[in-house]
Amino acid sequence: MKEKTSPPRWMITFFQWFCNEHLADAVLGDLLTLYDRRVKVRGKLKADLLFFFNVIQFIQPFAIRRQRSSNTANSLDMIRSYFKIAWRSMLLQRMYSAIKVGGFAIGIATCIVITLYVRHELSYDTHYQDRANLYRIYNEETGPEGGTWISTPPMISSILKESYPEVAAAARLIVQDWNNAGDNLFRRDDQIESTFEEGFAYADNDLLTILEIPMVYGNRSLALKNPKTIVISKSKADKYFPGVDPTGKTIVLNDDLEQTFTIGGVMADFRSTSHLQVDFFITLSGVEFWEGEQTSWCCWNYANYIKLRPGTDPEELESKFVSVKESYLEYLSKQKNQNLEFVREHYALRLQPIDEIHLFSGNMHDNVPHGDIRYTWMFGGVAVVILLLACINFVNLSTARSANRAKEVGLRKVVGSHRSMLIRQFLSESILYSIISFGLAVGMVTLFMPYFRNLAGKNIEVPWTSLWFVSTLWLCAILLGIIAGLYPSLYLSRFKPIDVLKGRVAVGFRNSNLRSAMVVFQFTTSIVLIIGTIIIYQQMQFILTTKVGYEKDQVLMLQGINTLNERQKTFKEELMQLSDVQNVTITHYLPVDGTKRDQNEFWRDGKSTEERGFGAQVWYVDEDYIETMGMKLVAGRFFKDDIASDSSSIIVNQTMARTLGFTNPIGEKIMTWRTWNIIGVIEDFHFSDMKGKIGPLCLVRGGYGDIAAVKLKNDQMQSAIASVTSVWNKFLPNQPMRYSFLDEHFERMHDDVKRTGNILASFTVFAIIVACLGLFALSAFMIEQRNKEISIRIVLGATIRNILTMLTGNFLKLVVISFFLATPIAWYVMNRWLEDYEYKIEIGWNVFVIAGLSSIVIALLTVSYQSVRAALANPTSGLRSQ
Amino acid sequence: MKGTSIGEFEELVLLSVGILYDDAYGLAILDEIEKKTGRSVMISSVHKTLVRLEDKGFVKSRMGGKTNVRGGRDKRLYTLTPAGVSVLREMKEVRNLMWKEIPRVVLEG
Repeated sequence: MKEKTSPPRWMITFFQWFCNEHLADAVLGDLLTLYDRRVKVRGKLKADLLFFFNVIQFIQPFAIRRQRSSNTANSLDMIRSYFKIAWRSMLLQRMYSAIKVGGFAIGIATCIVITLYVRHELSYDTHYQDRANLYRIYNEETGPEGGTWISTPPMISSILKESYPEVAAAARLIVQDWNNAGDNLFRRDDQIESTFEEGFAYADNDLLTILEIPMVYGNRSLALKNPKTIVISKSKADKYFPGVDPTGKTIVLNDDLEQTFTIGGVMADFRSTSHLQVDFFITLSGVEFWEGEQTSWCCWNYANYIKLRPGTDPEELESKFVSVKESYLEYLSKQKNQNLEFVREHYALRLQPIDEIHLFSGNMHDNVPHGDIRYTWMFGGVAVVILLLACINFVNLSTARSANRAKEVGLRKVVGSHRSMLIRQFLSESILYSIISFGLAVGMVTLFMPYFRNLAGKNIEVPWTSLWFVSTLWLCAILLGIIAGLYPSLYLSRFKPIDVLKGRVAVGFRNSNLRSAMVVFQFTTSIVLIIGTIIIYQQMQFILTTKVGYEKDQVLMLQGINTLNERQKTFKEELMQLSDVQNVTITHYLPVDGTKRDQNEFWRDGKSTEERGFGAQVWYVDEDYIETMGMKLVAGRFFKDDIASDSSSIIVNQTMARTLGFTNPIGEKIMTWRTWNIIGVIEDFHFSDMKGKIGPLCLVRGGYGDIAAVKLKNDQMQSAIASVTSVWNKFLPNQPMRYSFLDEHFERMHDDVKRTGNILASFTVFAIIVACLGLFALSAFMIEQRNKEISIRIVLGATIRNILTMLTGNFLKLVVISFFLATPIAWYVMNRWLEDYEYKIEIGWNVFVIAGLSSIVIALLTVSYQSVRAALANPTSGLRSQ
Repeated sequence: MKGTSIGEFEELVLLSVGILYDDAYGLAILDEIEKKTGRSVMISSVHKTLVRLEDKGFVKSRMGGKTNVRGGRDKRLYTLTPAGVSVLREMKEVRNLMWKEIPRVVLEG
């Protein structure tokens, strides 16, 4: 026969693939005949094209392959039957099912909790209607010592409002502990007893409108218009003025009757997802903290929020801020300040979108607590990984158990089951598992949510009642069931009935490469998490135990003593006389967060117009300060009570002495807006968290403050507090004593490390549990498979040791591989984390050894339970079974 | 679902099945229609219509023997069912009836 031309093979295959059996052969016959005719008349190429065109024409419902027996009633019955079979096989293998479901549930629960957490973090400041146009102003200094901060001189906001038509509104805010911002003693003017309140801030009236703060009482556009007005939050209004509209009432701060405030309105409480949390807004109208303050570029204390007109390009506006910078440069040049050139080069005023404040502020100095986008994603990533581990368990166990299901598959196929039906069966089985796991996970979430709230320090609600949440859960349950069940179902349904029924069922077990890879993945993750947790805890220990340069133990902080006014000195003397008290100092400034900070620019004496100055902390302290705080004087002397000239004496820390460039600083003069004589040098101490270097700091003579730091002689806290209280009550009967301990404040300052450590630790625990559950079930299964082999070995004289080595060796190998994979990953990630800290630990090899050993021990324990059982079992019972 | 009436193309296909009697398969039907009506017909619509007619019960089919003419290719052979015959007859009677009622003037004018 002569060679026949025919259309490309793939076209035919394609046609046969989609066309149903009823038509396929007949239509193909027709099409090929047509093709033959066309080839003769028009040539192969055209015939091919027309053939393809014909094939395409048949992609229509009437010709497309249909599922056999697409009777709806029948398939409903089938689904019911699938679930019944799934339920039965679940009950038949209780241990494996429990492990599958339990591990899955843990993974899901972790994922739910973290998703809610991430959602909470991402929802910060997204509730403003005009959020796309709301910005916060910040300063940026580039260069090696650069940074970002938000405080500006007072007139920036009015300059912006007046000179830029793009700016629709601008308002100032002061949240840092400064004058009445921060915390105060608060009372109604018709009551005597004051209460300590936090969350005070100064604000312009327009801020209420810019931040769209809803008002409960009063008019938003007028509430802070008049001088000496204050707006309080709903919860504070309920506390002090229950049931009445307090607008127009008078309140007193810190018992200062010369400066009372009138309530201009009541605002709704700030949302928990707002970067600002303020309970009291004091107006900035008519405020001038000292003469000329409002018009001077000297002092930067104000944050600025602005609202742009719709359609403004923020970057373009930023570039126009150059004119603001010009007036600053003008000021500097008038002062003959040598920073002029540096500022011209490196300084810029910039805009930060309001919804980026919470997560994207990095190291911005803004006195507002932040989240960190990196941690948010890291936690999210870890949660997904844990879910993945749980899915892997699921896949692993399902395929490992395949031998047990093989006969079922074979038989079903023999009786006429299609592969697609089997796939559907196993998928519905895994969906059933998934739904049960979700149910369990929801229970776990309810149980652990309070604990997690505590751990994360966030008030995250589980939206059980919202429709989207519930429907998402269902959707995820089904989706996850399909994803986790896809591989096992494809795998199981592939068995050939003839192999299975002949007894060649070990197919599932021999091919264990994939399973080993999955175990390796699980353990790699666990080991990375173990190493990470250990390093974070080590860093925390390092921070808490490192020498900070002062003694933080047994120091009691009595807060709010500013109301004593001129009686502070006698109060201090009375405290000193107590037998429990070693020393007392009165100050605003302590080396922990939540106390005052002051930054001034310093020069060597007379050089302010010749040299570049530098910023340094200036702390006002009394003569007992370093004694009480246990700081060390390395040169010169400290303040003395009887030396009158100490009013212009200054004591610098070592960093500042170095910055000044004095080899022997004692007796040298330095200047700010006045001249100081250096009389002493103290050893550097940490006065902020460990992330930054210790900066220049100096102490000058004060003697007034709102904190009395009391160094106790011993750790008999109870009696000490009792005696201190009695002195307090004598002086301030109307003000409850508020005290705390310095070391507590110090620890709180490093809460974020602790929090990260704790969250990661719980993740690690979950990951290990999931991984171990998987390993446990796998080892149990493997031993079951080799039951007969083990029995024969025992009969032939193998010792328990031989058996154990044989059974656990395989798994140990996997753990060791995981260890070598995990080490570089963990090392890299944790080095990146430590980069945030100026003062940090070195990652030692011992961390890896501990992590490696502990994972081996955990794996060994998990595997050996089953192995020991197998090794100790009576061999006859294993051999008798068949 | 049994349709009691058929469309124009369905009628053409049904008639062709009748004409071809023992050798009515897709391509032959297509050729027949093209020959008789002179219009060009898509092979897919022929098969589609055959499937529909079979669903309605007007034709029945069987796989036909391989013939050398077609190079040993399969074909599905269709034959009219009694219902198919009666629906054709019905259509024809309706037409004849209606033809008769058209006034002569119209036809000749």
